[in-house]
Amino acid sequence: MSIKADSINIDLGDRSILNDVSIKIHQGEILSVIGPNGAGKSTLLKSLAGDIKPTSGAIHYDNKDISDVNIQERAFTRSVMSQLQAIAFDFSVKEIIEMGWIDRGESAYATEFENAVMDVVTKCGVKDLISRNFNTLSGGEQRRIHFARTLLQLWRPSDSSDPKYLLLDEPTANLDLTYEVKLLNIVKEAANDETGVMLVLHDLNLAAKFSDKIVLLDKGSVVKIGTPSEVLNSKILSKVYDIEIKVQEDPLFITYY
Amino acid sequence: MNKVLNLINLNKLHISSKQLFKLNVFVILCAICFLLACVNGSIAINFTDIFSGEISDLTKIVLLEIRLPRVILAALVGASLGISGAALQGLFRNPLADPGLIGVSAGAALGATLVIVLGSNFLSGFMLGSFLLPLGAISGAMLVIMMLYMLTKGFGYQGVTYMLLVGIAVNAIAGVGIGILTFISTDSELRGLTFWTMGSFGGVTWPLLIPAITIILISVASMITVSRNLDLIQLGEPEAYRLGVDVKKLKYKIIISCAAAVGASVSLSGMIGFVGLVVPHLVRLFGGVNHNYLLPGSAFIGAALMITADMVARTMIQPAELPVGLITSAIGSPFFLWLIFRIKRS
Repeated sequence: MSIKADSINIDLGDRSILNDVSIKIHQGEILSVIGPNGAGKSTLLKSLAGDIKPTSGAIHYDNKDISDVNIQERAFTRSVMSQLQAIAFDFSVKEIIEMGWIDRGESAYATEFENAVMDVVTKCGVKDLISRNFNTLSGGEQRRIHFARTLLQLWRPSDSSDPKYLLLDEPTANLDLTYEVKLLNIVKEAANDETGVMLVLHDLNLAAKFSDKIVLLDKGSVVKIGTPSEVLNSKILSKVYDIEIKVQEDPLFITYY
Repeated sequence: MNKVLNLINLNKLHISSKQLFKLNVFVILCAICFLLACVNGSIAINFTDIFSGEISDLTKIVLLEIRLPRVILAALVGASLGISGAALQGLFRNPLADPGLIGVSAGAALGATLVIVLGSNFLSGFMLGSFLLPLGAISGAMLVIMMLYMLTKGFGYQGVTYMLLVGIAVNAIAGVGIGILTFISTDSELRGLTFWTMGSFGGVTWPLLIPAITIILISVASMITVSRNLDLIQLGEPEAYRLGVDVKKLKYKIIISCAAAVGASVSLSGMIGFVGLVVPHLVRLFGGVNHNYLLPGSAFIGAALMITADMVARTMIQPAELPVGLITSAIGSPFFLWLIFRIKRS
């Protein structure tokens, strides 16, 4: 099972944002997308999430064309976290997390609601924030809460084998290093539990450590796709990012300053 | 039926037992206001007399033909303005949205006056049915909301003040239209300018009331069914879409229900300001911001507030009557100022 982009092109006006991109997010695997600003990383994530329709090419959710998957089913299959807007009213943190709960109309799910919320809250370590007003949290704390919300969206009873995918656009922005690593460890845990993950990351070292596969994008096209040690090559990176980048192998470590 | 039960069960997840209790308190409050308003007035009616059945024919007529429809109308108008304010604030993600301030009520009033004037001058062969007046008002309200939709590029978030500026302009345009129509019309059916700008619940009768009751109840019910989606849209439209909300459908549902509720209200009672602004904020202060609680809460508190305001309007300077909009504006405008300062601070 997978979410798949099949040679998609995305044009905005006469500008080409993505050019013949094909990638596959497999269940149980972390795929990181890296590349300089304007490479089309976020656009790729948005098209896989179903926000943007590709100009040509196709998106498939578990072998079904995305246009045949209604938005309710999409919400149940994949959750997305990206840049977020300010919230006008004073919701509590708990209410924001609970917004990730997709009502499927099955009573089995409804009875598990409280358990699922507590599960996610404990996993993300946000228990002491839960009764606070969301708008009084710091930027980093708000991100952690939104992350908890995307996890709740994918919560399943233990006997469920429905496929699930997590699409995260720079999930570690605004986070200090403790939470950066904590969050990515939770993502790793989710992948071990058969979640397919796509990460857009800026930090090449984090990508090296946490990814099963890496896609390097530049100017809307895929430069290279493969395991971290295949893609994170000093020659390729230096060319794409246009600065000198050194890569030390085993353990993989990238320096660029 | 199953679908309805399912919906109720799912919505129960997103409202706390404390909030449910508060909603019950609001209902009781509403009932108390209702009873008080029925017995108080230029002819006082004794409670015990009603229940013992010992009332004169005159009192009976006053109660059933004058007071009861009036109190019911006040309750309905309060409920529809309150819930429409809450729904519009939620949809626009703007705490200052109010059917009066953004010009929806003015559009409705213009629509209603147009129907009356055209009805008497050009459509004389056409029955001025009791549905035609609310329909005119609803079309006016709808037109204004559609215009707002286009000016804000699909209700995209443009900052808190932009929509209010548009509202000032719409209110001014509609004001000119209503002014001209009341001036050129000699028709006695077209009530005075003060009726349209300040509102009143006087003179309502059952035949006028029944279509309004139908329209308002249907639109209130339809708003309550999407309250969960109004919560989700607070995260932003793309985010709500990713959570499975059909954003376009939600917008149309809210637009049509609000236009219908406000239009039907304004056609019978004129423009009554600030209720749609104040009530949702009061309800939020009492118990939370989630729409499963906020929407029904705003309907009940709106009704209670409006019944009380009308009671004060007709008993304060007997035998004369104050326009009820004067009272709601007296309460609402300082509140509006306070709200602006609060928003500016944060």
